[in-house]
Amino acid sequence: MLSAPAFLDTLERTGLSTWLRESESLFAYYFVLVLHNIGLALLVGTCSVLGARLLGFVPELPLVPLRRFFRLVWIGFWLNMVSGAFLLIAYPTKALTNPLFYLKLVLIALGVWVLIRIERECLVDEAAIASRLAAKRSLVLWMLGVWLGVLTLGRSLAYTASYILYGKGT
Amino acid sequence: MNFDHLHLLLNHVPIIGFVIALALFVASFAGRNTDLRRSALIVFAVVALVTIPTFVSGVAADRTIANDAGVSEALVKRHEGAAMLGLWFVMATGAAAMTALWRFRRTAAGPPRADIVAVLLLSTIATGLMARTGNTGGDIRHPQPGTAQGTPVAEGSIGAIIHAFEPAPDGFTDLMVATKWWWATMMVMHFVGLSLIIGVVGAIDLRIMGFARELPLAPLHRLLPLAMIGLGLNFVTGMLAFIGMPVYYAADIAFWFKLCALMLLGVNALLFYMTGIFDSVEHLGPGEDAALSAKIIAAGSLLLWFAVIISGRYIQRFEDSLRF
Repeated sequence: MLSAPAFLDTLERTGLSTWLRESESLFAYYFVLVLHNIGLALLVGTCSVLGARLLGFVPELPLVPLRRFFRLVWIGFWLNMVSGAFLLIAYPTKALTNPLFYLKLVLIALGVWVLIRIERECLVDEAAIASRLAAKRSLVLWMLGVWLGVLTLGRSLAYTASYILYGKGT
Repeated sequence: MNFDHLHLLLNHVPIIGFVIALALFVASFAGRNTDLRRSALIVFAVVALVTIPTFVSGVAADRTIANDAGVSEALVKRHEGAAMLGLWFVMATGAAAMTALWRFRRTAAGPPRADIVAVLLLSTIATGLMARTGNTGGDIRHPQPGTAQGTPVAEGSIGAIIHAFEPAPDGFTDLMVATKWWWATMMVMHFVGLSLIIGVVGAIDLRIMGFARELPLAPLHRLLPLAMIGLGLNFVTGMLAFIGMPVYYAADIAFWFKLCALMLLGVNALLFYMTGIFDSVEHLGPGEDAALSAKIIAAGSLLLWFAVIISGRYIQRFEDSLRF
């Protein structure tokens, strides 16, 4: 028997949660999933491009204007905070009874800290950064590693849940 | 939609296309005709792309004719196994041809000998395997004179050797879905590939469309191999996932939408690189504006990649949306 807090049950019975899960509308659950997927592509995809440049793959690419693309990283991030909240409302028991979900949250927090540092320290003055870039190598690798971890954990949540709904095991 | 008719429409393209491309390719060695060689490589790449919906429509056609009297399940499976083996060699030829075309751009002397040998070797094997796929497919509906439809076919000596390498379709399918961990790993790789494609292609498209104009295009475009790694990863994991649950995907309208968007992306890429539009933006410097034709191609690419993601994500929602 599931010994999960009763508020999960309450949350699942709310109109929004029920609608997200059960509606036949194209704009219910799968629409939120699409948004979450687009956010992931913007965040991880743009990080890959920035990472490739910061690791020295295309040194001819100027760094300072590349900073413009960092806006896409944050758009992807906030899109996924919002769409992720809706996914959580749709299946609260599924996420909150899975330890991997908490690990994902920890990695996201770590990832945000790394992103802020990259934005502040790596994409500033073109002349000064060239000499500092070698020292930032591990920070860039952390950025790529952590967000790859978030992606992997997020995808794994679909296959590792012990409960789909309150009182319903897999 | 009648899937066995769609399969009949498509299934001649890989066979005839590869025979013609291989003939052009071999002919290009006489007189070192580089234009002819480039044409042959383009045909290989295009035909490889069309082979994907051909394979997919074959699975759907199998479901359509499965209940017909006189159709032998064993003959269908034999054809499917031949198609699976052939598919990988066609894909590999397409990838090798695209690599060679890429290097054609970079050096006046043409691609290195290793590329040419790889294309020659892979395409020769692929052409042979496609011929066998066509032949085994023909046996399903058109038996040898004097035998009834559905009669088991004895393999010839060459057929028996090739048959040893052909996967048993059901066994391969079971292997893909045997553990949820392998499936989850494939899906994670598919999402990593998707991110690499959107990151690199999206950045190039946005720059051409006029965003972040301070960036020169050439160094940004040099990141394209990263997107190609993503594309390769997603072709392989995508096809493996399809083989894992072929009927699930073939009966799904969203999956067909995704395939159509991918084919249009192929056309879009061809227009970009083969009609001189890419040459017009290749050396775009900081602050320079791209031609309208290039902007339209870039916007089309961005739109179509998002269509691929959206229809891919709706596959689950449209389970069983098509009737055979």
